[in-house]
Amino acid sequence: MENNQRRKGAVRVEPNPKRDAKIHRGAEHHRLKMSDKGRSYLRHNLEVAKQSYFSLLAQPLTTFMTLAVLAIALALPGALYTGLKNLQQLGDGWQGDPRVALYLKMTASDEDAETLSRELLLRDDVAGTELITAQQGMLEFQAMSGFGDVFSFLDSNPLPAVVMVMPRNLSVTEVPLLQAKLQALPQVDEAVVDMEWVQRLAGFVLLAERMVWVLTALFITAVLLVVGNTIRLSIESRRDEIIIAKLVGATDAYVRRPFLYDGVWFGVAGGLAAWVLIQLSLLLLNSPVEHLVRLYNSQFELAGLGFGETILLLILSILLGLAGAWLAVGRHLREIQPQ
Amino acid sequence: MISFDNVTKRYPNGYDALSQVNFSLASGEMAFLTGHSGAGKSTLLKLLMLMERPSNGRVLMGNQDLATLSNRQIPYHRRRVGVVFQNHQLLFDRSVFENIVLPLRICGFDPADATRRARAALDKVGLLDKEKLNPVVLSGGEQQRVGIARAIVHKPQVLLADEPTGNLDPKLSEEVMRLFQQFNQVGTTVLIASHDLGLIARMPHRVITLNRGRLVADGK
Repeated sequence: MENNQRRKGAVRVEPNPKRDAKIHRGAEHHRLKMSDKGRSYLRHNLEVAKQSYFSLLAQPLTTFMTLAVLAIALALPGALYTGLKNLQQLGDGWQGDPRVALYLKMTASDEDAETLSRELLLRDDVAGTELITAQQGMLEFQAMSGFGDVFSFLDSNPLPAVVMVMPRNLSVTEVPLLQAKLQALPQVDEAVVDMEWVQRLAGFVLLAERMVWVLTALFITAVLLVVGNTIRLSIESRRDEIIIAKLVGATDAYVRRPFLYDGVWFGVAGGLAAWVLIQLSLLLLNSPVEHLVRLYNSQFELAGLGFGETILLLILSILLGLAGAWLAVGRHLREIQPQ
Repeated sequence: MISFDNVTKRYPNGYDALSQVNFSLASGEMAFLTGHSGAGKSTLLKLLMLMERPSNGRVLMGNQDLATLSNRQIPYHRRRVGVVFQNHQLLFDRSVFENIVLPLRICGFDPADATRRARAALDKVGLLDKEKLNPVVLSGGEQQRVGIARAIVHKPQVLLADEPTGNLDPKLSEEVMRLFQQFNQVGTTVLIASHDLGLIARMPHRVITLNRGRLVADGK
């Protein structure tokens, strides 16, 4: 009931353009059309956005300091995320192709190895095999490690023959089962899944992911506080203007708007600066990483932030700027009332 | 246009700024509100601006009970009212013109229209040649005229003034009062709080006298 009355009140309080026109004779047509209202709203938003932009430029030092803090606070989780993504990518490169390496006993001859390899091919759970005889193994080792001369000091080849087994079922549960069965074969000294280090890496990535989330949460809080504090100071410095605006009939939304745009601009500029920081630090890391990768004979390539991630970073930072401003505005504008 | 119906305003500390005040002002009427400082003049104006709410009784403006307005609706109510303050409440970080156009911006007027209206208001108070100046360089009387121009620029139905001549010499005070009369002549309801009894006596308007929150006299 009371709600209803209030709503009625709301209708009546809207200045009636027709009545105004009668009383004041002048052209009072500014409120006649809804489209006019919408246009006026848009125009005001554009104007406020522009004013907010230039007022931030007018205080370059304050703005720069705030932006620097924002950029760093956004860049750190961004960089951690990028690092994490690269680690995951490193793991993914191997994960698609897990193999069980069977290191045969030294007593097994190359013929035994060949026989075993053919026998294994007949099994249901094996998709394929590849034999690396002791001889081949030695040649490969010489070629890849640069320690080729070592063998000339030895009487015999110390390397065992190896049968690489490609499992038919690549699931994380099936591969270890196959590994255990193959381990039990009499000719096999050791069955190793070269997936193990990938699994360890995945474990590490999981841990790192958690850490990135925790740090991201902390830095997001920092961003909110920094924007909030900057906006709070800005509200304080415009106290008189706010009071007068409220006295002549400014809505809360009208008073809030310039500060929200401040927050948005901080978000835009902070996000862009963070992006530059991330890409710059990746550029610095690129050559040592390339060097390392060459040592590992890997195809790995350091990936920066993609297009989608860049957009995400920007959207996130804009939302954070807006949210920080909203927090400050919500708290402090209520306190400022005309007396 | 304005009506006080048995209005009491008690502040939380138990002090009654207004008690059981009854009066009404017809549309297009002009009246003075007088009394010693602390008599309740400012409180009465604050109730009309919805800067305060009455503890008891009803305040009506244009047949609308202000108690039915929620806090969200206060801004729209204030757009119907123009207020002139003793200390002008001008913004010194912008020009005279920008000060005056502010209410129009807030109401969402078209910029060209707003400029035209702001100039017209400045012309009415005789400050058209000073629109680009910062109000800080104007004299007290001129600053008050800027305040008046800002109060009437959006053509409010009601014009309130709180000690508008408080800091002005007699000659300027009379000029300011004459301005209020002019706005009243075109149909605006005007209520002026003032303790300048000499000046009030020389004007042919209704005088409402408050004493310690009570209405003690009401007449010409």
